[in-house]
Amino acid sequence: MERAEIISQILAILEDVAEVSPEDVNENSVLMDDLDLSSMEILTIVADLEETFGLRIPEKELRNFVTISDLADYLAANAR
Amino acid sequence: MEQRQRSAEYIFQGAMYFFRRKKIQCRYQYTLKDPVDSALLQKAVDAALAAAPYYAVQLVWEKRDAFLEPNPNPCRVYTGSRMRDMPEETDGYMFCVSCEGAVVYFDWYHFLMDGRGVSPFLTRILEQYCNLRYGTAFANTPIVCSPAYDIEALVAQYPEQTATGETLQREVVQTCEDTIHRTRVRLRKKCLVDKAVAAEVKPFSMLLALLSMGVGQYLGKQEVQYSYSADSRDAVNAPNALYNCVCSYQNIVSLEQGNHAEDYAAAIDAYVRSTLTPEAKRYQMSQQMGWVRKVHMQKAPLRIKQRVFQMGEYISGVSADFWLSYLGNPLLPATPELEAYTEDFGVWVPPDGGSMGVEASSRNGIITLCIENKVPRAGLSAVLRQVLEAEGIQVLEAVELDEF
Repeated sequence: MERAEIISQILAILEDVAEVSPEDVNENSVLMDDLDLSSMEILTIVADLEETFGLRIPEKELRNFVTISDLADYLAANAR
Repeated sequence: MEQRQRSAEYIFQGAMYFFRRKKIQCRYQYTLKDPVDSALLQKAVDAALAAAPYYAVQLVWEKRDAFLEPNPNPCRVYTGSRMRDMPEETDGYMFCVSCEGAVVYFDWYHFLMDGRGVSPFLTRILEQYCNLRYGTAFANTPIVCSPAYDIEALVAQYPEQTATGETLQREVVQTCEDTIHRTRVRLRKKCLVDKAVAAEVKPFSMLLALLSMGVGQYLGKQEVQYSYSADSRDAVNAPNALYNCVCSYQNIVSLEQGNHAEDYAAAIDAYVRSTLTPEAKRYQMSQQMGWVRKVHMQKAPLRIKQRVFQMGEYISGVSADFWLSYLGNPLLPATPELEAYTEDFGVWVPPDGGSMGVEASSRNGIITLCIENKVPRAGLSAVLRQVLEAEGIQVLEAVELDEF
């Protein structure tokens, strides 16, 4: 899957879960600090991404998801 | 069933068990003196259930809301040792009594009750059975349940610890999730108590130290994260709660070659003691159940809630290499008269949130450790025996019950 498509999916889920407008987000946006996401919102986004991309993300990877780009990198490398 | 008999009072106390990766079904098993008469056991279950309406319920769903309501179906006693899926294979009941040979199996879905909440009912069934089988005269007074504790008041009392970037980025224990293999270890209680007294620690703390050494050696790890649960009925003023009412704690032991259990036990003991005050338990309950409440309130499909709950447990550091649950004597009340009709006991609980779950019970001076292990590696019993014996604990049995 193209990276742009992955980013687009992330932004759609972000808007759905946390009502963050895609215009307010870029790849370097920090999930907690810049987007002010709660841990519940981040976990819900990850759970939704797992469903969307049909994969299971090991919990130890959660610590690596600091920015939107981190999520996209992981999905680009692991999504089918 | 009339609508007014429905209740959601105890739903929240068990809600976290909707969110578990797999359904948590547990087993108590009692070996009696003689082969069990299933017809008499059926009568005993009927009599006990009539005095204990808390257990005589079924779970009903309406869209995303769950309720408990009286179960109109007969509560059957089954023969054989197979654990049935509850409530799907048990006419709606969230427990199941079965027997084979001299063993009575009491299985339950962790949603409705915890180990302490099971004990009065199981004890009552055994008492009623002994009345019928041996002519004892145990009473059958009502078993009542404390009202549900007020989670809103609890959450309001303690501010929620907000997860930060650091919380999300800390190292967590990735648990093994392989097929469960069971191991049973029996040890002489006096050895453990003597060793604990000499070290001026609780026997529980000494057992944690010993198990940490054994698990560390078995896993090849120098840092072992343990977890344990504490009964919090006193902390939430629900002394007769039959519903889930425990909080759990986690900590790390850093192992060093050449050390003995005493070298770890003092620090473990200090931590354990600090967590067992009613205030500490109230705080822990507020944080633990506050998270459950937040997940519960999410407007999301159950599968998303389940996944969010699991990941939340990981980032909050709940996952451990092993957890220890010390049940003590499972009979409640534990009368010598009833003890006289029993020969053995075991308790098995799936280790959700840990690679291994150790259930410890105590009976007739023997501590029995029933271990459910999800690590794909043989040899746990041999390692535990070697570690315990090297530390001066008399091991009466250490066996693998399932083949790898």
